Amino acid sequence: MGLNARVETLPGHEIGVEEQQRFRVDDLLPSRVMRPADAQDAARGLRLCDQAAAAVVTWGGGTQMRLGAAPRRYEVAFSTDRMSRLLEYEPADLTCRVESGMRLRDLQEALLAQGQRLPLEPPHPERATVGGMLAANANGLGRARYGTVRDWVIGIAVVYPSGKLARAGGKVVKNVAGYDLMKLHIGALGTLGVIAEVNFKVQTRPQVEATLIAHFETPAPAIDSGTTLARQYLAPAAAVLLDNGALRECGLTGDWRWTLAIKLEGYAREVEAARDEATGIIREAGGRVEDGDVPSVFWDAARDWSAPDDGLVVVRAIVPLTAIRAIFSVLPGDSHVLAQPAAGLIDVRVAAGSAASVLQQLRSAAVDQGQVIVAAAPAAVKKGLDVWGMPPPGFPIMRALKQALDPNGILNPGRFVGGI
Amino acid sequence: MDGADRERLLGRLRDVVGDRYAFADPYEMRLYQYDASPETALPDIVVIPGSAAEVAQVVKICADAKVPITARSAASSLAGGTVPVKRGVVITFARMDRILEIDGDNLRAVVEPGVVNLALSQALKPLGYYYVPDPSSQGACTIGGNVGTNAGGPHTLLYGVTVNHVTGLELALPSGELVQVGGRKAASASGYDLTGLFVGSEGTMGIATKIWVKIQPLPPVQKTLMAVYPDVETASNAVSAIVRSGILPAAIEMMDKLSIQAIEAASHAGYPLDAGAVLLLEVDGIPALVDELGERMAKVCRESGASEVRVAKDEAERQALWKGRKGAFSAMGRLSPDFYVMDGVVPRTRLPETLAKIDAISVRTGFKICNVFHAGDGNLHPLVLFDAFKPGQYEAVLRIGDEILRLCADAGGSVTGEHGIGLEKRENIRYIFSDDDLEVMDRIRRVFDPHGLMNPGKVFPGDGLESAPSRAPEHAPRRASAVAGDGDVWV
Repeated sequence: MGLNARVETLPGHEIGVEEQQRFRVDDLLPSRVMRPADAQDAARGLRLCDQAAAAVVTWGGGTQMRLGAAPRRYEVAFSTDRMSRLLEYEPADLTCRVESGMRLRDLQEALLAQGQRLPLEPPHPERATVGGMLAANANGLGRARYGTVRDWVIGIAVVYPSGKLARAGGKVVKNVAGYDLMKLHIGALGTLGVIAEVNFKVQTRPQVEATLIAHFETPAPAIDSGTTLARQYLAPAAAVLLDNGALRECGLTGDWRWTLAIKLEGYAREVEAARDEATGIIREAGGRVEDGDVPSVFWDAARDWSAPDDGLVVVRAIVPLTAIRAIFSVLPGDSHVLAQPAAGLIDVRVAAGSAASVLQQLRSAAVDQGQVIVAAAPAAVKKGLDVWGMPPPGFPIMRALKQALDPNGILNPGRFVGGI
Repeated sequence: MDGADRERLLGRLRDVVGDRYAFADPYEMRLYQYDASPETALPDIVVIPGSAAEVAQVVKICADAKVPITARSAASSLAGGTVPVKRGVVITFARMDRILEIDGDNLRAVVEPGVVNLALSQALKPLGYYYVPDPSSQGACTIGGNVGTNAGGPHTLLYGVTVNHVTGLELALPSGELVQVGGRKAASASGYDLTGLFVGSEGTMGIATKIWVKIQPLPPVQKTLMAVYPDVETASNAVSAIVRSGILPAAIEMMDKLSIQAIEAASHAGYPLDAGAVLLLEVDGIPALVDELGERMAKVCRESGASEVRVAKDEAERQALWKGRKGAFSAMGRLSPDFYVMDGVVPRTRLPETLAKIDAISVRTGFKICNVFHAGDGNLHPLVLFDAFKPGQYEAVLRIGDEILRLCADAGGSVTGEHGIGLEKRENIRYIFSDDDLEVMDRIRRVFDPHGLMNPGKVFPGDGLESAPSRAPEHAPRRASAVAGDGDVWV
């Protein structure tokens, strides 16, 4: 039986033209969509895909679908949209368990009702799902202060091509029993299994929140202010550095060349002290601190900036704090940039035509200190790019892990590092 | 391993590390047969490599000869994690104890596995930084061992455990390779997070030879409070009340009446002897905030039934309060010749009922059980007191341990919060994981270690132990008082 015929035998439904477009990944369209109702259902479905050797792309909200290389093949869109329940939430334990298809915003609303939150803010929370956030390791702007997805996930249930539904971690905030498979699946881009359920630890919402905006003529002192802030006890909840183009794209007007926006969170006394400290650091570096409020859309736009919906190319550099300046020194003049200087992360929107050369230059500047990847790009541009760069030193182990958990290579084939 | 095989292997290992640093004398082997758990097993050979390259060669030689390898540093494992149950070679890191780099600009330090946890924070202190995870054994345990067990400590409540503070590792793998995963930068965007996967794998995947850790600025001030309660139930309800009030302190520790008596006898920490339970709470931050939080916390404590709330008035009093807590395990020698410690975890809200059930077990079996633990994150450390020289007591205590871990699992918790599964809990792991869960983990283990040579007999249940230490009287545990001098056993 040929592949098409085998795919036809899978449960789920055949796909119409409109739906095919909705589940497009780069240039490829699926021939079938599966929408499991829960983890058990997903396990049965994935096993059938494996038996049919049908290539599966797991779909959450689709906000990170332009991350990664184009899939080698693609038959089944495996959507978690029906798996969207909040399964357990005990506010006094500061923990919850959710299905992977739950939208981030829905989760945050449930937590907010109890005065709590998950301090992770990936782009487009109104669409992004919990599972997608894990798979893409999609972090927002708070990583310097609150860490990344890996710091908040305490348990996971994953469906494997073998049809097994296997858990790791648990529901308690401190637990070292068994292997920490949460870490393995976070950032694996769905190449090792389908994340079905996630247990989080959560936190009480901060008492107060404040924003500080400062302007600089050149990026260097702004970078230095950001990295100095990262080394303070009262580190900011977010610090973003934008050029004028990115600033306008985030909804602020003004002629300032470089803007450092700082979000402060915590107990009132802390925020007050942090504001004074940050103001001092910025002024000493030659920056000008603005008075007045910032429109609330700014932080949302800054959060979403690195995952644009249109056909833009975003290149991301992740480097040690001391290497940020070197990255900036090779940025082309016409690129728009939004950096998180306290976290060593620089996102650059570049013109399609210059993507390859910018990528090359950033990789030379980062040398062996960091990584430079393509965070988003349309299919046509991606074809000419090495989106992940050189596989890292541990790559043979990674390939062996893939082989152990997905021996037939049905999960997202070709999209991950080194062609995994 | 027969004598000729051992001599041959010893010769090859000596070629790598030098004659002085590889040995097999039976008398010396006895020093390496134990850790801080009751179990023992003799290694065939002990090697003390001086560099990562030497570790890699030693691992390769052993792997080629299909000889089991167990990594060991301070051997403070409470779960038998470093006991070489399948004999073979023990690699120990006494010579690899250098802090290789302190990079304040990037908030990182790079260390060898044998660096003592506290030594790192002491080296960082003059620069205004510290390394957060602080197991109570931090004066002896090493960062390498901490990586193996994903160690915690009192101050991990707010700031996270070892894995949250490790950004990269250099690994000696059974293949003989030395591979760097992760590194100095903040986040990985290039392949699977092997650093995160490795931390807490208890030496079953390979050996960390170099470790990149996060360091962070020291808090400007710390305020420690002691709240006195009539009983553990009121104290554990208070823990939930504090968390609900919106304050997450840097640490919340609890000690029950029996623990308080032992601690006071040993270290005069200043805990009231007539208290039913004591909570030790700490907040850190800028002075103005710490004062405010301290007052708010004291208020919540009083409202939740504390008869007395005392704030440490100076650093000396603060240190005394902490010394009592951190020395709690060694203080048990004052109450009993031996003790057996559990490391269960329950959701915070299940603390009162779980402690009540543990008390019921104590009443039913007649064994005294002390509780001294990380209440803030529900990580219990019940200590069952016994006398190993009385026939049948050790076996009875092991059964009590199993029962307590079952309670924790049934309450939605875990069988280990920070000590690791090790040798001791490899059957108890079934209380929380199904065969399918364990099969996936085992599949991953085999990717790293296809022949099962890295710390074999640990973590996974039913690993076909040939030379497993039976839990019979001839393997009676060492007497706590005989091996644990003051400050020798901690958690």
